[in-house]
Amino acid sequence: MAPLLEVRDLAVTYRSGAEQVRAVRGVDFALEPGDTLGMAGESGCGKTTVALSLLRLLPVSAELSGQILFKGEDIIGLGWQKLRAVRWAQASVVFQGAMSALNPVRSVGEQICEPIILHEKASRRVAESRAAGLLDSVGVSSARLDSYPHELSGGQRQRVMIAMALACQPDLIIADEPTTALDVIVQAQVLQLLTGLVRERQISMIVISHDLSVLGETCDRLAIMYAGRIAETGPSREVLGKPRHPYTRILARAFPRMGDAQSRLAPAGLPGEPPDLRAEVVGCPFAPRCPEVVADCHTAAVELWPAGERRESACIKVLDGYGHPAGVAQQTAARAGDQDAAQRTGGPGGEQPGTAELRAEGPGTAGPGAGQRGSEGPAAVLEASGLRVVFPARRGRGAARAVDDVNLTIGRGEIVALIGESGCGKSTLARALVGLVEPTGGEVRYAGAPLRYGSAALRAHRKHVQLVLQDPAGALNPRQTVFDLVAEGPRLHGMRAGLTERVHRALADAGLRPPGQFVGRYPHELSGGQQQRVVIAGALALDPSAIVADEPVSSLDASVRGEILKLILSLRDELSLSALIVSHDLGVAWNIADRVAVMYLGRIVEAGPVRDVLLRPRHPYTQALLSVLPDATRDAPARTLAGEPPDPTKIPAGCRFHPRCPRLAALPAGDERAELCRATPVPVLASGAQAPGPAAAASLVACHLADLDVSGLIEPGKPAPQGAQ
Amino acid sequence: MSSTAAPLSARSLSALEAPPGGGASGARDFAHYLARKLAAAVVSFAMLLVVGFVIFSLMPSDPVEALTRGHPTSAKQIAFLVKQLGLNQPVWERFGHFVVNTLEGHLGYSWQFETPVATLILQRLWPTLLLMGSSTIVSILIGMWLGIHSGWRPGKLLDRAATGTAITFWSVPTYWLGILLLVLFSTGFGVIPPLFPAGGMSTPGTVGGWAPAHILDVARHLVLPSLTLVLVVFAQYQMIMRSSMIDEMGNPYLLTARAKGLRDAEVRQKHAVPNALLPSVTLIFLQVGTMIGGAITVETVYSWPGLGYLTFQALQIPDLPLLEGTFIVFSASVIVFNLLADLAYRHLDPRVRRS
Amino acid sequence: MTAIDQASAALTAPPRLLALRRFARDFARRPSAMAGLAILVIVTVLALTAPLFIHASDLDVINAPGQPIAPPSARFPLGTDYAGRSILTLLVWGSRPSLAIAVISTALTMVFGSSIGLLAGHYGGITSRVLMAITDWFIALPTLPLAIGLAAALGQGDTSITIAIAVTSWPGTARLIRAQTLAVEARPFIERARALGARDGQLVLRQVLPNVSPFILVSATLTVAGAILTETTLAFLGLGNPTDVSWGSMINQAFFQGAVSAGAWWYILPPGIAIVIVALGFTLIGRAVENILNPRMAR
Repeated sequence: MAPLLEVRDLAVTYRSGAEQVRAVRGVDFALEPGDTLGMAGESGCGKTTVALSLLRLLPVSAELSGQILFKGEDIIGLGWQKLRAVRWAQASVVFQGAMSALNPVRSVGEQICEPIILHEKASRRVAESRAAGLLDSVGVSSARLDSYPHELSGGQRQRVMIAMALACQPDLIIADEPTTALDVIVQAQVLQLLTGLVRERQISMIVISHDLSVLGETCDRLAIMYAGRIAETGPSREVLGKPRHPYTRILARAFPRMGDAQSRLAPAGLPGEPPDLRAEVVGCPFAPRCPEVVADCHTAAVELWPAGERRESACIKVLDGYGHPAGVAQQTAARAGDQDAAQRTGGPGGEQPGTAELRAEGPGTAGPGAGQRGSEGPAAVLEASGLRVVFPARRGRGAARAVDDVNLTIGRGEIVALIGESGCGKSTLARALVGLVEPTGGEVRYAGAPLRYGSAALRAHRKHVQLVLQDPAGALNPRQTVFDLVAEGPRLHGMRAGLTERVHRALADAGLRPPGQFVGRYPHELSGGQQQRVVIAGALALDPSAIVADEPVSSLDASVRGEILKLILSLRDELSLSALIVSHDLGVAWNIADRVAVMYLGRIVEAGPVRDVLLRPRHPYTQALLSVLPDATRDAPARTLAGEPPDPTKIPAGCRFHPRCPRLAALPAGDERAELCRATPVPVLASGAQAPGPAAAASLVACHLADLDVSGLIEPGKPAPQGAQ
Repeated sequence: MSSTAAPLSARSLSALEAPPGGGASGARDFAHYLARKLAAAVVSFAMLLVVGFVIFSLMPSDPVEALTRGHPTSAKQIAFLVKQLGLNQPVWERFGHFVVNTLEGHLGYSWQFETPVATLILQRLWPTLLLMGSSTIVSILIGMWLGIHSGWRPGKLLDRAATGTAITFWSVPTYWLGILLLVLFSTGFGVIPPLFPAGGMSTPGTVGGWAPAHILDVARHLVLPSLTLVLVVFAQYQMIMRSSMIDEMGNPYLLTARAKGLRDAEVRQKHAVPNALLPSVTLIFLQVGTMIGGAITVETVYSWPGLGYLTFQALQIPDLPLLEGTFIVFSASVIVFNLLADLAYRHLDPRVRRS
Repeated sequence: MTAIDQASAALTAPPRLLALRRFARDFARRPSAMAGLAILVIVTVLALTAPLFIHASDLDVINAPGQPIAPPSARFPLGTDYAGRSILTLLVWGSRPSLAIAVISTALTMVFGSSIGLLAGHYGGITSRVLMAITDWFIALPTLPLAIGLAAALGQGDTSITIAIAVTSWPGTARLIRAQTLAVEARPFIERARALGARDGQLVLRQVLPNVSPFILVSATLTVAGAILTETTLAFLGLGNPTDVSWGSMINQAFFQGAVSAGAWWYILPPGIAIVIVALGFTLIGRAVENILNPRMAR
């Protein structure tokens, strides 16, 4: 069978004035009918450019060369009329971030009907009935045809995008980051929907994502891109299971699996930055950062060489005479890579990795609370006790109980991860702990003493507890130099003596060495990872005992993520710095946390040591979160939760999770425990402060049916039935 | 011609124009919304009366002196005038009288024309409406068309030419342009013969009414003043629309539309323009203040018998009651236009209509 | 410039100077901006040095040097006005009141308008609503009628015009600055500064203001352009200082003394062209600065 799509030596160059950026440099791949191909890579690797070039959707300044053979015809040379006919009717696109990918002033139904009317010259009535059918097939009520995009939730909008893409019954769907910016559970719902529909209608699909685990789960084949070229391709299980390119290996480790001992307390990262796409690259573009580089890597022209059955790799080591890049225990290679990277100077950006050591965790270690880290004095550094934060009612919306009675303790030298979806209140809790939000009830305690909200008390608190935010580029004032940015804190507190040394020391602790090279720079001259290090240095300059980090690595590239997480670990080791990491990503918890707390609708539903909670979860919400983590090696399909993410202005009575709870739904009718879940609130969890001693390790869970075994009652493979909607 | 800052990003200003999202959809909510906006308009009008009173009745040093300047007046006549103007009453009483009179339509008595101000205003209303109305419509059409096309392909020839022209015309004083056009096309200059009348609204001595000859006559007189206004004002609308279009350009839904196979022009007209219109409509409504200013100067240059020319004539003494009357009428009409702008925005933007 | 050059430049030059140099370079690359700057410099120099070469006798109405409304000649390159004075002389002299009024009223506008905008944007809540209600209402008042009213009530003269312009211009600035303040304060680095311990005053001065000041600069240049136009309009309508010469009053005299029917183009054109050039100069500079700061608006 001839391939549906064949791309040969595709190259895309953007020209603006005298500058040119070679975004894509020679990409070859083929797609058979009915196949799904995933293209993975980090920002700037060219994957979106490749996707858009398939339908020539790039801006006018882009030059394409090579061949894109779609059903035998070359898209690049196609005339306008024919190209417009191909667009959408033969190959359609699902874009990301559907809030702005949908026209805000036209109804959803109109936008779905538009391509139908355009390509099939159908009447409005016919188009509308087709559109209604499409909405049904994606799980959105057809009453929504007249709704506007802003009236739908994020998940619903993405489903509308999918329905729209199916409108003209294309042979190929290109999905560009279809689930980025969606919550984990919604992401799983949408992915399930997409893959199901595509398989059912025998449509080929190309999925672009930076999230390797998502691709591994949804696609048959994978292509990993780096610096405008393909580094490796093959069947997804094999590529992820036995990578044959060093980049793939490191990238895969950035998405750790629960239970994978190798990634526990050992985040994987890459020093340096991706190469400048304006320059010509000689040899392998990955060579400057590669842990397994050999001399020839810098000079030999790399191309995709066969590396197994239906596999190709652009690593020179797959050729005879260089030894095998894989097969030899991944573990030692990876460990060696980490240690090599620790000594390497990195790329032209000069980023130095932190002095991370691998931390092996033996079985039975209960975590730092068990008297390991010399915790003399009060064990609790930062505490929330009965904390409540209520946002008052506004026009059009009721009062929101963002944080509703939370007890949480962070001990000295402890890293606690706070996991939840958007709207659960975790960011509000983080800000309350730092003192940026005044609680409506309960208290925040530092070293046992309650936090007062007078300006002097707050300023003192700032010296002890600091904040690290999600978006490092936005968190740095673009008009200040690195020196000023790091010195800002000490200056505000009047610490003028020895300011320069303090700044230099903070920069060095944050891994920016030599500090003198960075002090004069502006934020926009730094990479994302370097910017986040500056933010951390700014926090460290005040010598805090604890930092609260709100999604510290979510907006960073996968390979850089590991470096920052390593930094936080090393700060804990060297400075006894405690940390609360707020995230939606369980992988982060697995990577660096000692304890984890899962939050839902303003309450902690489960908390305890990471190994317990993430490997033996007892709350149905935690179980759902874990089960929807994309995993290429999973055999059974995921069990997603039904329903939409919760709304803090409408908290259900009784157990606040009960409308979506699979355990409750699996109870036989008339079971009196069901009444318990629907009417009686669950007791608030204690703070889980670790008392020294071996008995302290138990995890706490807020569920009436906590130890009920319903595994026999729930059918595997089906999404949890809907509760009260 | 404007003395406020030229339109920068339409978005930054329009962020303040868009009324905050209301409650659920429905006619009842519209009634709420309308009531709220009407109440605000009434408050504005009340404050307008206060300001008008302060400026025209309280600030001038001595109206009697202004009135009788140059004429010998006896002490008795002065006392009579003081009583008639109510200058010996306490401020509150004067203000009260003023408000009641205004609401009843008694806007005072013009010193120079010796006619009630309200009568004068009514007489001169229609010519101003004709001039402003025709100029506005033409300016909007030209300005928006140019703005859409130059914003769609910024940096290209059309954009550079159109934007350059717009900036230049924005820098031209309206009255001076009027004088130039007058010299060029009315008095005639060099090879250009006199084409249009030198002023006024119709040729003196002709019959009025709706006779076609008269309509044509008025139309001939309308050409130059209208052209002057259009040339100066279209630039505003063009820049606003261009700004809005450029703001829309970065949005991904345009890429979705292209991917669907729509032609470039279709993407522009069906997707970009409706979105770009939203902030533009509001801003354009708000430009009525500029239009009024232009009308005043153009009418003066062309002796067009409208409210603007009336204002200029009032300046000569200065005829304070007349000035006050025209000020109130102008400002009240801006308040009305602002109200219309809010309602129009709500009608056009579904995000506001149904939240 | 290689990475090494950049790094060493970062070490040697003070960082703020680098930013200024970059800005100056971007500015110099735009011909329209440089043209605007040239215009500004020339006109300012002329206005400031005018007393050095123009004497009172040149401006005397009674004992004017030439014949009334005479066409250009060798002695009077731009002809004479209704009294017989050289129009070229008047043109140069007329720049002074126009520029002075424009600059002073703009300064008043910027100080007052920006303060209100910053306060409303920063404090939000009831403060913002009250301030914005006042501002919005002021914006509703049509510019020229209000300016005319104020100038008429205060009497003729430069002061009245200055006040009138300031009163009608500040609301636009206040709105703009408030919008920009809100935009800046929504960015995460403000939250970070708070977390580091900054208090209100420090926050506004050190974090917000430096990021809002470019917009203040742009707004100022565009306001000056508008102020010049308003001032000349008010002068044309007869509200200026009767004893002084300004461009607006020149056009007023030209028009009402019959230059139109006399076809005295030399009387009508020069002041108007001067106004256009100066207003254009400020506008070009303002737009250039705006484009440098916000590169999305292509030209």
